[in-house]
Amino acid sequence: MRKILLFCFLLMCPFGLFAQTVIKGKVTDDTGEELPGVNVVVKGTSNGTVTDIFGDYSLEVSDPSATLVFSFVGFVSQEIVIGSQSVVDVQLVTDVVSLQEVVVVGYGTTTEKELTASVSTIKSEDITKLNPSRIENVLQGQISGVQITSGSGSPGGGQNIRIRGINSNGDNRPLIILDGVRYGDDLSTIDPNNIESITVLKDASAAIYGVLGANGVVIVTTKSGKSTFKPELSFSGFYGIQETERTINLLNATEYALLTNEAFAAGGQSPIFTDIASLGEGTDWQDEVFETAPIQNYSLNYRGSTESTDYSAGVSYFSQEGIVGGSKSEFDRVNVNLNVGHQLFEKLKMRTNMNYISINRKTLTENVLGSVLFNAINIAPTEAIFDADGNFTTADNLGIEIINPLAQIANTFNDTQTQRLTGLVGLTYEIIEGLEVESSLNFNYADVFTRGFQPEISFGDSKVFNSEVSRVDQSQQNFISYNIDNIVRYSRTFDEVHDVSFTLGNSIYKTRGQSLFVSGRDIPNNTFDFADVRLANDFDEIRPGSSSFDVRQFSYFGRVEYNYESKYLFSGLIRSDETSIFAPGNQQGTFFSLSGGWVFSDESFFPSLDFFDFGKLRVSYGELGNDRVDAFGYISQLDGEAETVFDGDDLVFGRAIGRLPNPELQWETTKQFDVGLDLDFFEGKIGIVADYYVKTTEDLLIPSAPASGLTGIAAPGGRGPSINAGEVRNKGFEFSISYNDEVLKDLRVSANFNYARNDNETLQVNDEDLFLAFGSFGVGGDDDISRFQKGIPIGGYWGYTTNGIFQSAEEIASSAQAGSAQPGDIRFVDLNDDGIIDDEDRSFIGSPIPENIFGFTLGLNYKNFDFSTLWEAQTGHSFVRNYERTLPRVNRRDDAIERWTGPGTSNSFPRLTTGASNNNLFSDFFVEDGDYLRIRNIQLGYTLPTNVIEKIGASKIRIYTSVNNVFTFTDYEGFDPSANNGGPINGTNDQGFYPQARTYIFGFNLTF
Amino acid sequence: MKNLYTYLFLIPVLLILSGCADEYLDEPPEYSIDSENFFNSEDDYDQALIAAYDLLAAVGYVTTITSEIASDNVEAGGESATDVIAWQEINTMAHTPVNDQLRNIWNWNYAGINRCNYIFEFQDKTDFEGRTQVLAETAFLRAYYYFQLVKFFGDLPMPLDKRVLFGEASELPRLPKAEVYTQIETDLTFAAANLNPIASQAGRATRGAALALLGKVHLYQDEFDDAATQLQTVINEGQYDLFGDITSLFLDQNENNIESVFEIQYSNAQGASFECLQCSEGNVMIGFSGIRGYSGPVYASGFSFNVPRQELVDDFEAGDLRFGATILDIDEWIIANPGPDDDPTTFVEGFDHTGYFNNKYLPRQGEADQPDVNLTYPNNIRQIRYADVLLMAAEALNRGSGDDAQALAYVNQVRARAGLSTITVSGNELTQAIYQERRVELAGEGHRFFDLVRTGNAAAEIDGFQVGKHEVFPIPLIEIQLGGDVWPQNANY
Repeated sequence: MRKILLFCFLLMCPFGLFAQTVIKGKVTDDTGEELPGVNVVVKGTSNGTVTDIFGDYSLEVSDPSATLVFSFVGFVSQEIVIGSQSVVDVQLVTDVVSLQEVVVVGYGTTTEKELTASVSTIKSEDITKLNPSRIENVLQGQISGVQITSGSGSPGGGQNIRIRGINSNGDNRPLIILDGVRYGDDLSTIDPNNIESITVLKDASAAIYGVLGANGVVIVTTKSGKSTFKPELSFSGFYGIQETERTINLLNATEYALLTNEAFAAGGQSPIFTDIASLGEGTDWQDEVFETAPIQNYSLNYRGSTESTDYSAGVSYFSQEGIVGGSKSEFDRVNVNLNVGHQLFEKLKMRTNMNYISINRKTLTENVLGSVLFNAINIAPTEAIFDADGNFTTADNLGIEIINPLAQIANTFNDTQTQRLTGLVGLTYEIIEGLEVESSLNFNYADVFTRGFQPEISFGDSKVFNSEVSRVDQSQQNFISYNIDNIVRYSRTFDEVHDVSFTLGNSIYKTRGQSLFVSGRDIPNNTFDFADVRLANDFDEIRPGSSSFDVRQFSYFGRVEYNYESKYLFSGLIRSDETSIFAPGNQQGTFFSLSGGWVFSDESFFPSLDFFDFGKLRVSYGELGNDRVDAFGYISQLDGEAETVFDGDDLVFGRAIGRLPNPELQWETTKQFDVGLDLDFFEGKIGIVADYYVKTTEDLLIPSAPASGLTGIAAPGGRGPSINAGEVRNKGFEFSISYNDEVLKDLRVSANFNYARNDNETLQVNDEDLFLAFGSFGVGGDDDISRFQKGIPIGGYWGYTTNGIFQSAEEIASSAQAGSAQPGDIRFVDLNDDGIIDDEDRSFIGSPIPENIFGFTLGLNYKNFDFSTLWEAQTGHSFVRNYERTLPRVNRRDDAIERWTGPGTSNSFPRLTTGASNNNLFSDFFVEDGDYLRIRNIQLGYTLPTNVIEKIGASKIRIYTSVNNVFTFTDYEGFDPSANNGGPINGTNDQGFYPQARTYIFGFNLTF
Repeated sequence: MKNLYTYLFLIPVLLILSGCADEYLDEPPEYSIDSENFFNSEDDYDQALIAAYDLLAAVGYVTTITSEIASDNVEAGGESATDVIAWQEINTMAHTPVNDQLRNIWNWNYAGINRCNYIFEFQDKTDFEGRTQVLAETAFLRAYYYFQLVKFFGDLPMPLDKRVLFGEASELPRLPKAEVYTQIETDLTFAAANLNPIASQAGRATRGAALALLGKVHLYQDEFDDAATQLQTVINEGQYDLFGDITSLFLDQNENNIESVFEIQYSNAQGASFECLQCSEGNVMIGFSGIRGYSGPVYASGFSFNVPRQELVDDFEAGDLRFGATILDIDEWIIANPGPDDDPTTFVEGFDHTGYFNNKYLPRQGEADQPDVNLTYPNNIRQIRYADVLLMAAEALNRGSGDDAQALAYVNQVRARAGLSTITVSGNELTQAIYQERRVELAGEGHRFFDLVRTGNAAAEIDGFQVGKHEVFPIPLIEIQLGGDVWPQNANY
């Protein structure tokens, strides 16, 4: 390494001196508008400038035979030989799909044309039109091969980004880089409206991030002043009203009473309801729980640049209330950002950015047994909301977890306050032409305060949420991470045809967090207003807690790129990571990728076709890592729970082993092959990108792996070890076609359709023919329904296959369920034909991972009107319908109306009974297809005519109206067919996912 | 100037290249104790021992209620036919190798054993006064956990004196239950010889507890003379006596009384949740056994599991004071305690409602206030009572040496406390009388199922009981798989 650096110094050769002439000129676009910020460079040198606010430039040139290159993002570059001219005016032509467009590839950039990797980018204009509340919303349907699922539709609720399927049995989240900062996973903190572009590295080129790159990389660039020359003040905002997009069809009170009586009678019990005629519709609990709720966003941004400085400063406010719980499920965010680049000296540039974020969030329990929506589904429609005295009703006889969901909302109290500061200071020094050194320090700091209050409350007899004493739980956590990057970049063109560049660097990373937890009981007045430990009266046997972590990483990386005439392209990169997560001896890993491209359309033998502009074939292969697992999994620590009671009631505390250790723990390795094709037709009006990939992940990380009870894993505080096991393959195909043209005068159409297919298969689990199983169905019912098992997709659901309903005793007698079923029960398939239905008859009955993802966008601009829409679809994934609490008195889905009541009445829905039956064994009866097509967004905008707005000094005023989550076409009966809890295993076990909101929006953009 | 900047930039690069990376990465976890670097003081041993006691609370409740449900004393109950399906299946002898309650029993006992073995693994590391007492308590606990396992599952993999690490379970074959019993006897003999007669804190193992358990272990193997020896030692050392008032023996305020040979301690000081029942310091069995939807005086509501059957009720003699202490007749209770007109005493019938509840372990008002109250009742499980010791001694004498006179004296001592007249029988009649006395004296305490099994009476008394199968429960299928698929399943499962 040192030798290479010395070599770099030796390359510093003295500049020659020549006579100088000054060339001036003006650059305009194809409509004659002046273009500021255009790069003007003498070809083959670093001698250059940019045009000013009026599109003017002047440049000293020593050699009259030199060629000037004019380039600007979004326009076709032009080259002009100076000759005898002293004034060179240029009109640049708009480039629809610009091959010269800069693409970020991690610690550097390249151009669309020279790119050899599978990389997709979304620009600012494709972001803001969606009125996104989170950046994940932006990726959905717009980038092929990127799957977005909703962990929760609640305000501030998490979304999951998965790039090219599921690699890991542990953590599948991609690496997020924001303005060069390794950002962490809490993406709710990012204001999507402040984003200039998002780039996704999908293939092995992410190996430049080594052990961080296996899940793909999302590089987010926020707005800077670079692209505007004159100062620009913009103010935009929207206000919207949200409502639930979907509800589940349940029985009304009359139907419920009839069916409940029937079930009781079948179970040999007396009927519950006598005066059914008087019940009517009863309470529609979903209607009561869902409400309309506001969402709003306002942002102010000021940006511009001078010759030596570019700057962007902004502030934004976002606020959303929940469609369940309103202000009890709320998210407020303030972002303040400052982004400054400055040329300190001739060869020394500085870049800084700073983001401050303040978030306030309140949440309800979601997607678990006894959560608000779970209760709204299960509570009887015969229950009123309030009793005669105006108190909440108590949902008696409905099981201990099912309580009045409105009482639950009213008695939920918590808030989480996050303050976060993210920043970067970087210096770039150009040593000689083509050789620069960059050093940067970036950091993230966050404080998180949480406060939860459990009032003294009874929701009804024996309810699990009852509390006879009030309690407050508070925590204070802080997180700091920093990253120092040092990079040397060199690029040079030899003999005008050999472009060579290399990047060498190292990166030092540390992240550290500390937390304190305290609790107290007996809060004065039993109210949230007094809920703080300083006012609590009782601290008996409540121990304060604390935790901390410290993870470090140390990396080297390098990249070499070579191309011949931008026609034959080659890129190779390597990275070595050492991480403190693993045991000494297992800390170091080396990752690499090799890629090549061939611009076959530039070949002389390639026929010159009018309609065909550009064609490139790409191939890449590489190995990447994933180390996302808790640190120190190789040590056995005394962090378990050890509490017992002596002398009647005294708690005594000891020490016990917590997580089981695994000294062999290492990163998992992903090997990815990609071959891709980029084609442009009709002067770039049509662009096609297609990729085929095979991605194999070995030594999968499995956090908290199940282990034999003999290890003590089931002790209080015990956890399974993090292990490496198994091999998973994702292979797939991605296709994207875009069209962009002015089809008629004043009518511009842009459209994109993208499709991705991914097939996921577990190739092996470990040496033995074992499986790993997680997840459960029902209460005390079947465990281990979601599996990591050879031959099926990761997380595949495992249960019985059904084949209709037994219609008669004769059918049962001749079946494998003789003696254990009655007419009207579900018929299970005896897969191994051994005459009994047992565990051996369970098999793969559904996958949580979609096989096909589609996206479609359409934009129309006619004069001052603009219209856009985004549709997206996912198919091939399944859900486990686990939001039904299978107790005698709970409500049911209205499918139960079509139940079996006698021979021939139904072959799909079993009889109702309170007695024992095997109908609730986990089978495909409870697994539903999640296929859906969703109209994600429709927007219509109008830009006020220039002559109107000039009077008030504005340069642009646009107003628009928009609807998000317009409609979802699906057969799935649950709230959200795009939901997923984010886990690789058991991800679509639906216990009442918080649905996405349909939002009606009105908004504006003002620019001065 | 130019060179100066160049060097400034290169300083961090060069520093880093000089190889300080290893040091930078070599950062041990903070404020953490490595399990390999413990046992440096008496305090460390005490803390590890507390961890070994920790599992008693979980094991005590789950084995008691599960074996009670397996017996002919009670119905599973609950809310519906599918409420805690594992217990419903055990209640009707329809259980299979997929049963989460059996898995809890397996896992929690082995977790306790693992924590005991951790202490034994480092038993020689540090010496201090009282080390033998610590090891003796540890040995008692390990014997207790193994005895539960051998009762439920028969032959066992038997890790000793060393923690089982991930992946090592498959190296431990199932050993014949005789070998397990031998180990249990070794541990208990060591414990009895070294434990204090009086516990420093109630709930810790004592010499009496070790002797009584050793006697019971012998009785379970039909080793009557050995059993009688140990049990009579407990009796003759005179430390224990019957508690005078049987009707209040099981109330929370009468925990750790003169009759208590070994008691599992519970507390209401801390909340608990269904997510981790083994983490509760409360007696989970009590909430599960409570009267469903109850509203009225004295008692608090619960989940109506573990409900006594009529045949148990019918087995009590007229005038037996134990009846009221053991059985709550809910209908009679409501007649006696109707409550005010505007707030009458009410309850809800659960599944398999019999009209009776297990009065020894019922939720009572004011005993718990931490959420979830159903899981945090403080009443201790009277694991080994002196009455049990007397009856076991009587049985050992009667079935062994034939000293029926002494046996009869022990039985009549128990009967007298129950307000019943003395009996005078001998031989097999006395054996039957002892069995009957065990049933009514110990009803609701989890002894009945294994008494029936070890005396060969299970098939006669328990509906659905198949000889050659139901004497032991199946090893949970998932545990066989996680253990590397090397343990054969119990016969006929």
